[in-house]
Amino acid sequence: MLILPPYSKLKLPYMRKKCRLIIALLVVNIFAVAGMAQNVTISGTIRNSITKDPIPSVSVVVKGSSSGTFTNENGVFKLTTAKTPVVLVLSSVGYENREITVSSTDAGEIDFVPASSLGQEVVVSASRVPERILESPVSIERISNVAIRNSAASNYYDIVSTLKGVDVVAASLSFKTPTTRGFSGSGNTRFNQIVDGMDNQAPGLNFSVGSIIGLTELDVESMELLPGASSALYGPGGMNGTLLINSKNPFKYQGLSFQVKTGIMHTDGRERDPSPYHNWSLRWAQKVSERFAFKIGAEIIQANDWVADDYRNYKRLGTTGSIVPGTRDTDPNYDGVNTYGDETTTNLKSVLNQIAAQVPFWQNYVSTLPADIPVSRSGYTENEVVNPNSLNVKLSGALHFKLSKKVEAIVAGHWGTGNTVYTGSQRYSLKDLKVGQYKVELRSDKWFIRGYTTQENAGQSHNLTITSQLFNEAWKPSTTWYPEYAFAYMNAKLAGRPDLEAHNIARKTADIGRPAPYSDQFHTIFDAVRKKPIPTGGLFLDKTDLWMVEGQYNLSSAIKFVDVIAGGNWKQYKLNSEGTLFADKVGQPIIINEVGAYMQVGKQIIKDLLKLTASGRYDKNENFKGKFTPRITALIKAAKDHNIRLSYQTAYRFPSTQQQWIDLDVGSGRLIGANKSLWDKYDLTNNNGYDPSTVPPQGNGLTKVPYIEAKPESVTTFELGYKSLINKKVLIDAYVYFGAYKDFLTRRDVIQFATGVTPSFANPYKGYSVVVNSPDKVKTYGWAGSIEWLLPANFTVSANASSDKIKNVPAGFRAFFNAPELRTVLAFGNTGFGPGKLLGFNVNWRWQDGFFYENDFNQGDLPAYNVVDASISLKQPKIKSIFKIGANNLLNEYYRTAIGNPSIGGLYYVSFAYNVL
Amino acid sequence: MKIFANKWMRTVAMITAAVSMLSSCNKDLPVAEPIVVNPSTGSTIFETIRANGNIYSYLDSAIARASTFNSPAGKLDVLLNDKKAVLTLFAPDNDAFQRSFQALGLPTGVSTLKGFRTGQLDSILRYHIIGGQKFASTGIPTTFPNNLYLQSTLILSPPSPTLPPGYRMPLFPGKQGTTNFINNIPLVQADIEAANGIMHRASFVVLPPSQVLWQRIASDPELTYLKAAVERADGNVPPGNPPGTLVSALSNPAANLTLLAPTDAAFQALLTGQITLALIPIVTQQLIPVITQQLIAGGATQAEADAAAPGLAAAQAPAIAQGQAAALASTPAVFTNPALAGVLTPQTVAGIVVYHLLAMQTGTTFQGIRAFSVNIPSTETSSFTLLNSAIAAHPGVILKATYGFAGVIAITAKGLGNATPSSVQINPTPAPGGSSDQHYINGVLHKIDQVLIPQ
Repeated sequence: MLILPPYSKLKLPYMRKKCRLIIALLVVNIFAVAGMAQNVTISGTIRNSITKDPIPSVSVVVKGSSSGTFTNENGVFKLTTAKTPVVLVLSSVGYENREITVSSTDAGEIDFVPASSLGQEVVVSASRVPERILESPVSIERISNVAIRNSAASNYYDIVSTLKGVDVVAASLSFKTPTTRGFSGSGNTRFNQIVDGMDNQAPGLNFSVGSIIGLTELDVESMELLPGASSALYGPGGMNGTLLINSKNPFKYQGLSFQVKTGIMHTDGRERDPSPYHNWSLRWAQKVSERFAFKIGAEIIQANDWVADDYRNYKRLGTTGSIVPGTRDTDPNYDGVNTYGDETTTNLKSVLNQIAAQVPFWQNYVSTLPADIPVSRSGYTENEVVNPNSLNVKLSGALHFKLSKKVEAIVAGHWGTGNTVYTGSQRYSLKDLKVGQYKVELRSDKWFIRGYTTQENAGQSHNLTITSQLFNEAWKPSTTWYPEYAFAYMNAKLAGRPDLEAHNIARKTADIGRPAPYSDQFHTIFDAVRKKPIPTGGLFLDKTDLWMVEGQYNLSSAIKFVDVIAGGNWKQYKLNSEGTLFADKVGQPIIINEVGAYMQVGKQIIKDLLKLTASGRYDKNENFKGKFTPRITALIKAAKDHNIRLSYQTAYRFPSTQQQWIDLDVGSGRLIGANKSLWDKYDLTNNNGYDPSTVPPQGNGLTKVPYIEAKPESVTTFELGYKSLINKKVLIDAYVYFGAYKDFLTRRDVIQFATGVTPSFANPYKGYSVVVNSPDKVKTYGWAGSIEWLLPANFTVSANASSDKIKNVPAGFRAFFNAPELRTVLAFGNTGFGPGKLLGFNVNWRWQDGFFYENDFNQGDLPAYNVVDASISLKQPKIKSIFKIGANNLLNEYYRTAIGNPSIGGLYYVSFAYNVL
Repeated sequence: MKIFANKWMRTVAMITAAVSMLSSCNKDLPVAEPIVVNPSTGSTIFETIRANGNIYSYLDSAIARASTFNSPAGKLDVLLNDKKAVLTLFAPDNDAFQRSFQALGLPTGVSTLKGFRTGQLDSILRYHIIGGQKFASTGIPTTFPNNLYLQSTLILSPPSPTLPPGYRMPLFPGKQGTTNFINNIPLVQADIEAANGIMHRASFVVLPPSQVLWQRIASDPELTYLKAAVERADGNVPPGNPPGTLVSALSNPAANLTLLAPTDAAFQALLTGQITLALIPIVTQQLIPVITQQLIAGGATQAEADAAAPGLAAAQAPAIAQGQAAALASTPAVFTNPALAGVLTPQTVAGIVVYHLLAMQTGTTFQGIRAFSVNIPSTETSSFTLLNSAIAAHPGVILKATYGFAGVIAITAKGLGNATPSSVQINPTPAPGGSSDQHYINGVLHKIDQVLIPQ
């Protein structure tokens, strides 16, 4: 009996409620403690019904309770329960669920039947609650760790490229960016990547770093891909899709495992001499007790990177341009896509005029020459300015505490470093890039609260264009180089040489003493320049941080008639580049705060026929007005295993941190963010720039580009999908979608002239690339379809095709849509055949149509390409290991995924993975 | 096992082969495309010359002989036959060679070419070529002053402090009426297209100059006064011809001048006249007492003598003064005569000298021009002189050329202070006998019979 103090009478009703709650909690706790104090332990071994091999990581749960465990690497489980007999529910991906009644403490050997998993896999990301993939109300793709194990891809990240509707842009061997429904690019800001609940985007550089600092391959449990708008659940940014990568829980996946993958690249010596590829990874997870488990992981990837070797001529106009004929020997103003330093250009006529003013007898001859003689400095190819050693080191660790049967605390961190190359407004050598993500999380089956931070350090990363341009200036300033060129040019012309030959003679003369690539002199100068911060060097000092707190609660148990989840988040960016990338200053980072909240309500309207789900999310960025994004989905079960899904989804994104605050001279112009203070800084608000296409002599009309406040971009999509499983052998999935983008965020070029100067390209001007909203609605639409067929004897054949298109892009705007009209994947494989079903193989063929690729770096026609990946594997069940021989791009037919990105050839490897079966 | 292996391996191989076939449809990655300049078609200049022996056999022979010279710029025939080259050739025809030989007092046969050193011929012929340009006759201006000059392929000499690197002797296209000229040489036919440039048929060999103006002034026996005047203008020329002096300007190969050069006779006439005028009052005063005494001795009274003597003295003085003046001006030393130092000051003399150098205005500055006789307009036309550099508003000189059937037959130049125009002594033959269109590295010289008086 409770004894209450006298004053408590005043609050009796409230106290009664509180006491009930306390009592309830105590009871629950007592029962929980009592439960954990039981000493009836059931043990057994679960094995493959066919191969009789033990099966690890099988979920073993006492039916009707939350008590459960997983089998260890020997297929053995031990489960403490209150009494016997009990009904155990066994489940694992790739096997048919089974219930078995156990009456004694020894369950013996339990056979587990391999089954078709088509359509049976459970996904979480589609609705933030577990559901069968077959019954997902929106399109979703899933890659299990089994699929990763059997894939021919040399890196798990590459597997997504085989999913329908996915484009993967490879900026280098280790820098790959997937996306769906268009807008592919290395720094895609319309596609979220979430790793264990953490947004994987580098907050300052605006690209997802999943392939660099994400999970190690051995620690990936699954990947779920949501094509299309997903802001309603995952917040700003998921305009085109979201990729969620989930790691293995150390309570479930235990033991030491490692993988050694060694291969060879550049076998034909086309780009480089043949060189090895190494990918070694290690994972160790241990359940120390029923309450505590930990895991650590490491992965190192090292190889000589692919070479960006597009040496086609790029004619720049401000920050845009086009690929045109010309080589270094045939165009004096040659500016190769992947040659750097040759962006520096000047009109030689002005130099000649200056010389003629001093040398009068040249005046007449000079006056007969054309008014515009553009000449670029000599550049260096990318392989000459980038260290070929592509290195990626990932370290990760996590501590998992079971505070109770339902509540788990997780402290985890992922840290990665290495050298790679990224394509943004220019090509960037990300040297010694370091990104860490650290989180603390509390979660139960109904709720979670999570806090994490992304700590970014660009290390010695530098802009290859700017560095190379300044390298040239450091070796021989343009104020010297161009007059030397001009003298030699004139002398050659006067000697009767044709114009082009005169240019080449002049270049050779001006380049006398030019540091040879790879020489000590070259490295000395280049290293000195790249280590200096922009604008005196090429280094950018980005140390931007992201801080995020988010939580979610599933109210379904409290509200019986509908399924309800609600959540919210607070996010803070701290932009810190010391003025080398953003408009911040030393010691004065730019702070951007965002808050958001969401709720989802779902209800089965007609049992086994119709389920409706409605979601809504509100977000507010301190620099922009708040934004509400709703989503409504419907799942119609037309028949058993035949589901039709309909969805209306909205998504939006605030301009990225760079789109808000970048202030970067890229050699051919300056990129500035949408913030008005940047327009003011360059007087573009008062002295408006012009649309370059309207500036004489190539244009007329002189259209000014005034300042207009940028707004968040939003998209509304409608999707109709169908997914069915026929005879448990054939899985069909198809969808069509339509999306309408409003306030589409893009860049446009403006040309600014000094006050009083007549707008004309004949006069000096400054080029800017500014962030603007498209005044018109940009529309995208597309479709995708896939079929997966389980054949006898464990064979699988699958095919998918997809298409994305855009329309209503206003003239003068660059949408960066970057998607082929058609892409397809054909795959054929077997996860177990031959004696003991130990052999496996996988062959897939990817094809995508060519299209016009555009980004800030450059734009041009990207050719269609085909790629064949293949692998053959041999399992060694006794040691739970697998040998594999694989090839990515088997036929070594080079292809590029973006203009300016490297040519990717064949990668051939052998691997041995221990303790992965 | 073997059967199994064969079965599956065959299946896998077939699949791999099938997929490989699909993949092998890949096209090669696009690579940089060179900008293709279509090679010229037709005959080169060299081939054109060779194919037209009836017109250019002398030139062909000259090229052949010149091409035996190992020029640092390469063989001449190779250059003229290079289809990639871009050239303009002023091509003397056979008559041109014969006329030129005749003017030089040489036999007119083609064998005369053998009398020239190969290097000499190489230099002469390179002066007929403009490199890197396909210069058509439509580009020749008709206005005066014609400041168009284009450098030939003749490299004058290695770089020096006064000769910028790559200095080549310029050619001066001009036009008068419908006739095109190169320097002062008429072009018989213009704009003959060739694969590697364009040809203009010339009526004389265009001989390149080998001296600067000062060398002519310093050595010409008819220009000793001009030499002395220039030196007086420079303050008697400090050693080394420092920059800024008239001597250095007239010696500078990079300069571009037209000198109307008064002959010694012209200077003597001017100086004698001017000195005479200055002496007459002096002589008159000197004569009055002498004549007075002579009159008294002859019987005149003092009063009669005083009344008559000034008139008689005034009547006799000019002749005496002229005689004395002629004696004073009889040598170029007149410019250094201490008795005249107050009159012939360096500044005054410099003003007179630069008034003989034609100029044009460019913005607010004045620069020298090169005017051959054929460039002078047929109507009276004012021309700036380098005196305008000091007195911008000065009206300059008035030029006029008279054209006859065979070209220029007379040129006059009138200074502001001259009562009558001076005349150019028309004789374009080479030095030392020639007196008009005398071409030098840094200018052209025309002898005139009067000193131009600026005020």
